[in-house]
Amino acid sequence: MNLRDRIERRLVPRTIVALSTIDGPRRLQAALHRLRGGRGTVELFVAFDDAYSAIALVGLADRLASRPVDLVVQPVVERGIPGDPAVAAKRRYAVTDAARLAQRDGHELSRTEVVPVQEAAFLARWTAAAPDERSRTAFAVAAMRRLWFEQPSGAVEPDAYADLWRRIVGGDPPPADADVVTSERRMERRKLYDTPVAVVAGQWFFAHERLPQIAHRLDDLGWRAAA
Amino acid sequence: MSTTTVEYFFSFRSPYSYLSGPRAFALPERYDVEIVFRGVTPMAMRGQSVPMSKRLHTLRDTKREADRLGMSFGRIHDPIGEGAVRCLRLSEHAKDMGRVEQFVLTASRAIWAEGVEVASDAGMRSVCERAGLDWAGCAAALQDESLQARVDANTQRLLDLGHWGVPVFALGDELFWGQDRIEDLERRLRPRAAQSGAVAGGPPPSERCS
Repeated sequence: MNLRDRIERRLVPRTIVALSTIDGPRRLQAALHRLRGGRGTVELFVAFDDAYSAIALVGLADRLASRPVDLVVQPVVERGIPGDPAVAAKRRYAVTDAARLAQRDGHELSRTEVVPVQEAAFLARWTAAAPDERSRTAFAVAAMRRLWFEQPSGAVEPDAYADLWRRIVGGDPPPADADVVTSERRMERRKLYDTPVAVVAGQWFFAHERLPQIAHRLDDLGWRAAA
Repeated sequence: MSTTTVEYFFSFRSPYSYLSGPRAFALPERYDVEIVFRGVTPMAMRGQSVPMSKRLHTLRDTKREADRLGMSFGRIHDPIGEGAVRCLRLSEHAKDMGRVEQFVLTASRAIWAEGVEVASDAGMRSVCERAGLDWAGCAAALQDESLQARVDANTQRLLDLGHWGVPVFALGDELFWGQDRIEDLERRLRPRAAQSGAVAGGPPPSERCS
């Protein structure tokens, strides 16, 4: 085995794994934040056309409700690995798989078909246009519930979501050209390549399949559910 | 005789495949099911690029999951290339010898937790012998092109099913992708295990293991 092989096959992966276990600074930071009365934060990148994002957003909203933790929703439209040849197959599979994941929480997915990316993009833009984090998260959760757990397969029409906006945010829905570039760039900067990703104190998870692990991470950091 | 078969698509270069192994091979202990092991060529050796961000996340997430599952992980020797090819051929040989479970679990642990270089004869010999396989037979199997043809057929079977990654479990037409989907697969197995005479289809008995 030559030096290059030794580095690429052994040293690099072992170092990545070893570094991933260093968590002391994050824990200390969280402890200090809690001592000052601060709340925890889970930042969640979601796409409304993505069934996995529905599982993650609704699942996290339910799990964080009793914790001193804020759920910060980052709506995106464009994401994924550039040039991924399996993207269409992955999107089809995600709907089937998300239905099984929903069953774990006792829910049932109402859609059985893929939602076209651009058809649901207005929901991301509306979410991005919400005036504050609280209404942004509340609207996103309500819209995702309606889209994936209440409405059957079929076209996603803005009219079917306007009442949610009026009730939760107030006023008429924003123009559909509100931008999601800020969230998309934030995702890209952090090298997060697909949705739904939850970032919790420096660690990130594909949230739809790591909901218990995210709860465990918050427990570890001291942001436990109220008794 | 079991009545249900699950095809188990596995890559020795996939750390998630490594995590799935003990639970996958243990399924017949609790369910009326036969596991049909199908080792496939790694994605990176099929011309599909894996971005660095994905590789980083996979290693970090696997470490977290390994800790959760109580499995060793981290003393890695990436088998991409010759090491993966040798493991795949020998997994087919191990099927013929009735030792596929032992070989797959030993080889994947060697790669992901013990830092064994499976591309070397010394490394592979230790794996084979721990798996209860005779080294002379294994050395001959490494030269057997018919075993490579079986690996190629496994890989093509995964693609024909419309899937791309590993580990994948195929129960009839239903696919379960990921070491963390075994619990969903188990939900499907329970009612089948309670029935008698239900046949889920799959390969001929000669290809079955467990």
